[in-house]
Amino acid sequence: MAMLFWFGNLFYVAVLLVNAVAVLSEDRFLARIGWAGQQDQGFGGGDVSIKAKLINLISAIRTLMRIPLIMVNIVIIVYELLLG
Amino acid sequence: MAHQRPAFTAASPPLLHHPVPQHPIPSHTMRSPPPLSQASSGSAYAASPYQQQQQQQQQQQQGMPSMHNLGHGLHPAYGGFLADPAAQIGLQMGASAMKNSREYIEQNMNRYVNYTALKHYFNVSNSYVLNKLRLVVFPWRHRPWTRIPKAVGPGQVDGMFLPPRDDLNSPDMYVPVMAFVTYILLYTMLAGIRGHFHPELLGKLASTAFAIVLLEILGLKFGCYLLNINNESQLLDLVAYSGYKFVGIIGIILIQELSTNGWLRFLSFFYFFSSNAFFLLRSLKYVLLPETSTDNPRGTVQAVARAQRNRRTQFLFIYSYVVQFVFMWILTMG
Repeated sequence: MAMLFWFGNLFYVAVLLVNAVAVLSEDRFLARIGWAGQQDQGFGGGDVSIKAKLINLISAIRTLMRIPLIMVNIVIIVYELLLG
Repeated sequence: MAHQRPAFTAASPPLLHHPVPQHPIPSHTMRSPPPLSQASSGSAYAASPYQQQQQQQQQQQQGMPSMHNLGHGLHPAYGGFLADPAAQIGLQMGASAMKNSREYIEQNMNRYVNYTALKHYFNVSNSYVLNKLRLVVFPWRHRPWTRIPKAVGPGQVDGMFLPPRDDLNSPDMYVPVMAFVTYILLYTMLAGIRGHFHPELLGKLASTAFAIVLLEILGLKFGCYLLNINNESQLLDLVAYSGYKFVGIIGIILIQELSTNGWLRFLSFFYFFSSNAFFLLRSLKYVLLPETSTDNPRGTVQAVARAQRNRRTQFLFIYSYVVQFVFMWILTMG
């Protein structure tokens, strides 16, 4: 039980979750369920719904984390191959 | 150092029959302070590091003669190596490196950690700590839960609140930090009594507990992001509140250890869990449900605001009951 919460495992879980978000395809999956990127929210930022926030977050992760994620994944793969 | 040895041997011709120490062996050991007479003669050996720097400068001004005097009454290996120019350069470099690194650390600590904000959380008194502990364990009868804003002038308030010393409802870091450390030590001690102690257990527990607090803060921040609650300034408040559960956890562990009755163990868990959850529910209300952001007088906006408020209340409930239940269960039973 306690092993679940070691820092290494927590880090792995975080990386895997971010991977899971980043791997979502914009036009094959997100557009079909209506979660495609933002359509110009303008200045209505006062009362944004949870869904809009989630969509915003997903698109932000997809654009921002792509290149860092490639690096982190490569590092983890090499580490696991050598020492895991 | 090299020119001192022939002078010494010339003064007392070497005996060849049996091994005799070539130099007078000093009675004191390496670390004991030498007699005062030597210290007053300017030996760098006797001086403290601060005096050494001054003396080094003096010696550099005086040049070679002072070096010659230095090793006179002393064992050449002692007086010699400090008078060595290379050693002095090394000492100075070491001192300056220490100073630079300390300054660097202080600068960066100031950049990443807000010292004054942290100091506010440790401004506690004995009576505050006792009352707060009582409040965490028994929060049912406590009446006003709002924090007292700090008055700048007569009738004026700024965004600050009174420190924990003056306000029981203010969050502090002292109780959570102490409870955190106590939890780790207590758990390890109980494991030791049962004969399962291993040094690794300390690190494992600390890592687990810290990771849980981290996870909790991340979850709270994510919820705040989703629910549009902007409380950038109150991250430390959230850290403090997530640490109060260790007080209850200590109580649970103690009761579990002292009693063999299964019912009592269960009951103690549920009592401490519910008291902690109630405490969090009441205390976090001002963080997660700020009244100022929802007092818009127009009708439709008010309806939206009410829906938002409902969602926030649900989030607060889920955080302080469901999430806390899972974490306290892991920390006590794990």
